[in-house]
Amino acid sequence: MQRDVGSLPLAPALRARLVAAGFQTAQELLDTGPCGLSKEIGISKEEALEALQVVRQECHSDATQTAGAPGTSRKCTALELLEQEQAQGFIITFCSALDNILGGGVQLTKITEICGEPGVGKTQLCMQLAVDVQIPECFGGLAGEAVFIDTEGSFMVDRVVDVATACVQHCQLIAEAHQEEDHLKALETFSLESILSHIYYFRCRDYIELLAQVYLLPDFLSEHSKVRLVVIDGIAFPFRHDFEDLSLRTRLLNGLAQQLIIIANDHKAAVVLTNQMTTRIGQSQSTLVPALGESWGHAATVRLIFHWDNNQRLATLYKSPSQKESTIPYHITVSALL
Amino acid sequence: MAPKKLRRARLSQELCERLSRYQITTCQDFLCLSLLDLMKVTGQSYRNVQKLLCKVSLACAPKMQTAYEMKVRRAVNPSSAFLSTSLHGLDKVLHGGVPCGSLTEITSPPGCGKTQFCIMMSVLATLPVSMGGLDGAVIYIDTESAFSAERLVEIAGNRFPAYFDSDEKLFSMTRSIYLYRELTCGSVLKRIKSLEEEIISKKVKLIIIDSVASVVRKEFDTKLQGNLTERSNFLARGASLLKYLAEEFSIPVILTNQITTWLSNGLAIQADLVSPADDLCLSEGASGGGKRESGSVTAALGNTWSHSVNTRLILQYHDLPTRQILVAKSPVAPFSAFFYTVEKSGFVLQDGKDQTNLTWEGTNPALQNIKMQQPVNAGQGMGALNPQNNRQVHHCAVHRATVNTRYKPCSTKTDEPYNELQNLLFLEHQN
Repeated sequence: MQRDVGSLPLAPALRARLVAAGFQTAQELLDTGPCGLSKEIGISKEEALEALQVVRQECHSDATQTAGAPGTSRKCTALELLEQEQAQGFIITFCSALDNILGGGVQLTKITEICGEPGVGKTQLCMQLAVDVQIPECFGGLAGEAVFIDTEGSFMVDRVVDVATACVQHCQLIAEAHQEEDHLKALETFSLESILSHIYYFRCRDYIELLAQVYLLPDFLSEHSKVRLVVIDGIAFPFRHDFEDLSLRTRLLNGLAQQLIIIANDHKAAVVLTNQMTTRIGQSQSTLVPALGESWGHAATVRLIFHWDNNQRLATLYKSPSQKESTIPYHITVSALL
Repeated sequence: MAPKKLRRARLSQELCERLSRYQITTCQDFLCLSLLDLMKVTGQSYRNVQKLLCKVSLACAPKMQTAYEMKVRRAVNPSSAFLSTSLHGLDKVLHGGVPCGSLTEITSPPGCGKTQFCIMMSVLATLPVSMGGLDGAVIYIDTESAFSAERLVEIAGNRFPAYFDSDEKLFSMTRSIYLYRELTCGSVLKRIKSLEEEIISKKVKLIIIDSVASVVRKEFDTKLQGNLTERSNFLARGASLLKYLAEEFSIPVILTNQITTWLSNGLAIQADLVSPADDLCLSEGASGGGKRESGSVTAALGNTWSHSVNTRLILQYHDLPTRQILVAKSPVAPFSAFFYTVEKSGFVLQDGKDQTNLTWEGTNPALQNIKMQQPVNAGQGMGALNPQNNRQVHHCAVHRATVNTRYKPCSTKTDEPYNELQNLLFLEHQN
């Protein structure tokens, strides 16, 4: 109630007038009432009423937060968080070594970034995850849906069909081995068509479409509440050319990262981004580093780097709050990443 | 592709006027501002500004489709998903052929067969759908003046003798291949921008650019400061324009690239490949498998370009006259290698026992080692390299800098598209 007028989310012109008229706290505004306000400030009664409604809403949500009520507040104890994390599932990748170094798989409510050289398998892993998130719960999956935002045009439906077919066969084998009721029931709905129908694909051609799509994502996720995975394949590609103003680029990227964190938390979804590698030319040698600069490194919670060692593909866990840094080899086969 | 004006995003007239006073006229400007800036320029409250953002985003955001819808669309029209290369083994591995709607790159040392491959694909694209083609026109942007009309006709006549049994059929095929000669980066980019209308009016089903690397390396010397970023910008812009065209019209785009030397301690230097003498000294370094300090030969144009292309095919030398085609990067295919020779009818895959190692251990497509031509005796000359096909090798191994002087174009205006082939065949006919 003692909130300062200058901090209320009103239109700037109106705010300036209120401050100029001498109002200091929100309580004063509420006490004056719409008619008095309109006379003093010189605005219409409808506008005054609207402003007061905004103020009332703000104060109400402030009050509930200070009273410690659950709901929209984001405050909880570490014990509650521990219980939440343990109950949460992971999105398995079908590559046990990769799942091990990640601590079980791709975590929900966190942003995971996959960097790698061209052709190393980033898009393959993303397509794999989009299928794996849909595995029914009785088989150890999350029974979720996936949003796939593609900026590079490397999404191939035929490849997803291969991966999905292999996944369905794998689940069928498990069901045959165990012969349990709910397994068979789940298999009825877990088919190729249903997997493909629950991958929502957006093709963003430049950074404006990407920004627009990320603004619209919260509404989309509220409508499709079963989405547990958001993949942005190629976050670097639209930002790496045609950008003379690097500070604008940094600001847009940071804003994007913030929105994605909010989306990941609110909707309990995992966000997976893929990044390119760029050459950093040093004094005597050049090294490959993830693109988009140093400050982007802070955006992701977990960072995986895929690279080559002659003929072997390796994955390195580069940044993680809970797991140790380690490297494992992997292959790409017809059915999956192994 | 110009940024969308705010008026078309269904914002109210007075709001648009107010925003234009702050020089915010397009959706791009609107979405790039932070929320506080937006509150200031629109004079609205926080919640209203969020609603406005949603409105503008709706105008810009792409349409959603599910993967199932995409699959159904592909199944309904299977021929529209790939352009078959008529090389059976390669088509099988690539799930159909050169994919439509994405960029495919062919890289090789000089004289290995890039232009031959492009000419062969041009013929294939003009074939009717029943024969595996796309029944459409071809746009061929030639930056090296290496296109040969006579070779085109030869390939067509020898590869599909049953179909091209009359001159009339050959002429109609050549009439649908539009050749543009561009010699600078700027003109190539301009040409690509103008392609959208051409594709619709001429019913184009294949775009070939032969080659991207030659114009870029002519104009950008990466040792000079700032040129590296400019070059990457040009390449990225070209790549995104071509991707847009490829996806919008669902057509394949084929680009060719050259090779460069990658020193093992990291820095890639631009190899001067104009004179054959340099080719020979590079091959010594490469024949050791790239493990020596002298470095290995790989695809040119750098890392960012390797990210932009979706499929990469590498042609390299094996024991002459056999050469090898490698699938180095593909979203649908594993690493594969096939042996082939270049015959009168174009590429011919070697069948049988040589295909036992279909899948092999490849490596980073940007650093894949490429085998060069083995040095020959100076006295024998170029023609002896491939005793079977003297004339064909002559076309392959011609210097990039020299123009093919046997076939002078009729029209001297280089900025107008002209159908060179029609003119040439007319000339031949007269003689």
